Amino acid sequence: MTEVNISIEDSASTPEKVVKIVHISGQLDESNVDEKIKEIYTVVDANPKNLHLIFDFSSLDYMNSKSIGYLIDLYGKLTENGGKVLIAGAKTNIMDILQVVGLTQLIQSFDTVKAAAESLQNSTAETAPTPAPAPVPAPAPTAQIETAPQEPAASTPTAPAETAPQEPAPATPAPSPVVNPSAAQNTAPATPESPASAAPEAPAVAPNPESSDTYKLQ
Amino acid sequence: MDDKNKENKDIKITITLPSTAYFVSGIRDFTLNLVKNTTEFSEQWAFRFQSVIDELCNNAIEYGSSPGSDVRITFNLVHGEFLEIVVEDTGTGREKLKAAQVKKMYEDRRAPGYVFSGIRGRGLAKIVGEWTDELKFEDRPEGGLRVTVKKYMKNPRQNENSLKTGQNSLSSEEIGEHIVIES
Repeated sequence: MTEVNISIEDSASTPEKVVKIVHISGQLDESNVDEKIKEIYTVVDANPKNLHLIFDFSSLDYMNSKSIGYLIDLYGKLTENGGKVLIAGAKTNIMDILQVVGLTQLIQSFDTVKAAAESLQNSTAETAPTPAPAPVPAPAPTAQIETAPQEPAASTPTAPAETAPQEPAPATPAPSPVVNPSAAQNTAPATPESPASAAPEAPAVAPNPESSDTYKLQ
Repeated sequence: MDDKNKENKDIKITITLPSTAYFVSGIRDFTLNLVKNTTEFSEQWAFRFQSVIDELCNNAIEYGSSPGSDVRITFNLVHGEFLEIVVEDTGTGREKLKAAQVKKMYEDRRAPGYVFSGIRGRGLAKIVGEWTDELKFEDRPEGGLRVTVKKYMKNPRQNENSLKTGQNSLSSEEIGEHIVIES
């Protein structure tokens, strides 16, 4: 099994917002992701509401497409229950992977864990009603909270190979803070893909007499 | 790295490994170092090839192999031209998909508006498809699939420079992806 370590740290939380930092170091690949991801789902199951996860990717050297799938699944589960997923400290190659699969359209990324945590705190401050100024008491303004649309419940993947969780509809595409300018400059523009309502996996098709096709640019 | 080795010698490397995910990390490391040290591709592309080879190998292992079978990987490097990677399996996996089926699945997932559901399914379409210029699926006469990907070094696709700093700069004009299916 490729080496990877996951540790989960409590961060400043309130009754309305449970914040945890998920530190992942090493490489997430086919040999370990199904097993290791359970540690995160355990935390998610233990905190069914308002769970905010900051993924610290500063020591993550590689992640495969299945780990991306898990990240998207976690995003769906958390956002439908008042929570959030943030990414912090991702290396250039990791950001490249996240961009090519379109995940940066969905999940905000930050330079550091601290910046991500502050972002959560700031959103808390925004939700607090502004005190009415004297001497003319005015009604407290409704806080502008950016929320993800409610999504159908997704099942916890007990057998990761078998589940097909619902992907969330796109939230308002607030641009992610560009935290790694070099990555932003060097990476290709990812094909924007906003996961909408889930569609089933492509069905198997009958064999075609053709045995080979090549795709190439004109 | 000796520059003489880099200059004009094309390289072909074939690796056969058991069809288990535990060995793929070694292939990733090998790919990263091969591309970084022997090609004109930039470091960014070296990391991208790492992902490409990982996704192809995982598919070969998961869908095209059974315990005890092998997966074969071939790197064909033509200096200054392209890097080609071929991944072959024995077709002894549970699904036994033919090239045409995999091709159809790939096309479906590349279609605009396709919604990915589930944990899986993104690797071939989103990573391999985006980070290669050619992708070919073939049925091996002896059974199994052969998947060939090719990335040209001097290719303005994706509006980026594939080459290391100091190499030929590429056009900044973005070129959309055009897929041509050979008849």
